[in-house]
Amino acid sequence: MQHKGATHWIVTANFTASGAVAYLREDGSWGQKLAESRLFADEEATKPLVALAQKTQQFTVSDPYGIDVHVGESGIEPVTKRESIRALGPTTPIRRPDSGRERLPV
Amino acid sequence: MYKYDAYDTRIIRERAAQFRGQVERRLSGEITEDEFKPLRLQNGLYMQLHAYMLRVAVPYGLLSSKQLRKLAHVARTYDKGYAHVTTRQNFQYNWPSLEDVPKILDELADVEMHAVQTSGNCVRNVTSDPFAGIAQDELEDPRPWAEIMRQWSTFHPEFAALPRKFKIAITGAPGEDRAAVKFHDIGVRIVKNAAGEVGFEILAGGGMGRTPIIGQVVREFLPKEQLLGYLEAILRVYNLSGRRDNKYKARIKILVTALGIEEFRRLVEEEFAASYTPDLELPVGEIERVKAFFLPPAYESLPDGASQLAAFKLAPERRFGQWVTNNTVAHKVPGYAAAVISIKTKGIPPGDVSDTQLDALADLADRFSMGLATTTHTQNLVLPDVKISELPQLFAALENLDLAEANYGKLTDLITCPGLDYCALANARSIPLSLEISERFDRIDYLNDIGDIAIKISGCINACGHHHVGHIGILGIDKKGVEAYQLQLGGSPGNDASIGKILGPAFAEDEIVDAVEKVIVKYLELRDSAEETFLQTVRRVGLEPFKQAAYEKAPAAAE
Repeated sequence: MQHKGATHWIVTANFTASGAVAYLREDGSWGQKLAESRLFADEEATKPLVALAQKTQQFTVSDPYGIDVHVGESGIEPVTKRESIRALGPTTPIRRPDSGRERLPV
Repeated sequence: MYKYDAYDTRIIRERAAQFRGQVERRLSGEITEDEFKPLRLQNGLYMQLHAYMLRVAVPYGLLSSKQLRKLAHVARTYDKGYAHVTTRQNFQYNWPSLEDVPKILDELADVEMHAVQTSGNCVRNVTSDPFAGIAQDELEDPRPWAEIMRQWSTFHPEFAALPRKFKIAITGAPGEDRAAVKFHDIGVRIVKNAAGEVGFEILAGGGMGRTPIIGQVVREFLPKEQLLGYLEAILRVYNLSGRRDNKYKARIKILVTALGIEEFRRLVEEEFAASYTPDLELPVGEIERVKAFFLPPAYESLPDGASQLAAFKLAPERRFGQWVTNNTVAHKVPGYAAAVISIKTKGIPPGDVSDTQLDALADLADRFSMGLATTTHTQNLVLPDVKISELPQLFAALENLDLAEANYGKLTDLITCPGLDYCALANARSIPLSLEISERFDRIDYLNDIGDIAIKISGCINACGHHHVGHIGILGIDKKGVEAYQLQLGGSPGNDASIGKILGPAFAEDEIVDAVEKVIVKYLELRDSAEETFLQTVRRVGLEPFKQAAYEKAPAAAE
């Protein structure tokens, strides 16, 4: 089990079709959940996967890159604010709260 | 308003069809992201943090009610129910999927809109005075000239791959620049010369970004018919001599500064003399054809409305009175006023407007303003042709839409870039700061006491939030992975153009709004009368008193 705050790396990108944030999973597929990301020991270890994604998975994802994350009891947490916001969505309201219209999910 | 001819329609339809093919090839994996990126950027499509972002061009900010309804429909059908007014009079959608973008472009083409040249190293949307055509201080309506420049720059083959992006703004009001022409790559001012002829003063080399520079005059007076030939000469000098080795030094402002304005002017005049032929002269018939699209609408003959306006300002219904006082602008036709609809509603990101609001605004434009509206670079919307007698009905309708904030030109009318909540380039968030400042100062009497002031916030040095020209400018920076904010004072985008000066070390996220408040309180202490604006006080007393106030620590509590 990882101790709280251990630093690891994961691979992220955006889905080509939707533009949504994508994370590389253990099985080599791409998903939208940060928690399902495959963990790497360091940045160096992400590079072959990033290169592979750039070369063979352009159909699925665009602009893959590695990011550092903390892994602790609460799971995977990105180190930077930028990646936190990518993972969780904007920190501000994303649409006007019109009456009669359900707020759409982030 | 300009109406597309068969040629306009064909090129926009063809471009949408071409992009549909490019998207299909991208989605099938036939082309890579690296190959696709320059193609999508030429069509206004960015990849941001969470999704694609589509920037839709609104030439010189002018929109018909039909176009507003289409923007609402796109927001509702293909996005998350809202659109965003940008700081260059355009609209943005923050959540479209790639496969929907061709459909959106087809829908936009149905109402003579597109996303062409809203990104990339080309001539971008030409911007102008949001009160163009109705301003009392206007020498001539700049919109026909903006439209002529739009037609000239759209798909101009020589200027499709410039060293960097290129922005042009035009104003027809020599006395007050509401288009920030001194902060554009080319600024065009309609002026009158000593002989009484109306023509253009041409400025170049202005801009914000990481190197803010005030544009300088290249030609003091240019005959109207030579406009496009002269712009071509400027762009040709830039295209040949602008740097391409370093994107941060590639804008025309860097070239003008490096050469000096005299040498730059000499090169432009030399190019102009060498290349200008009578064929490049704008035909009078063509000028008149375009001008005909912007003839004044059928105004009614009305009393001047001054006494009615004065009575409205003192109305017992205080919110209405405040709104008329702050959000209406004098019109050149008696009995009419321009109404500024603030898209700075409490708790809502500045410039965000929902699909239902857009539909309703289209209805209000039809009902009260001859079917037209104008976006502003301060992220608001103007209904330009409202009868003064109908202001109460308009205000009531806006209240129902939550769009009746009486804060135009006041402290809570903040310009704010999308910042780190959306933008892939940003270092820090802008919107939460903007919302917190609005909440802190949410007292109309206090706002009116503070008076006219512009706070502008950018989440990075690219300065989309125009922080350099804010009376108070805030720049978000990344300080070792933590958001921090620089405060600067004294900027102005107008005829009295100035670039704000940094007050001191950056503030932490939880300190910056307090610092803004301390600066405001200090201004209220220092101003020599209620009439002296914030900017005037800063210019009179300098930064030091504000610096002392902003960095003053609260005394430690007694043990």
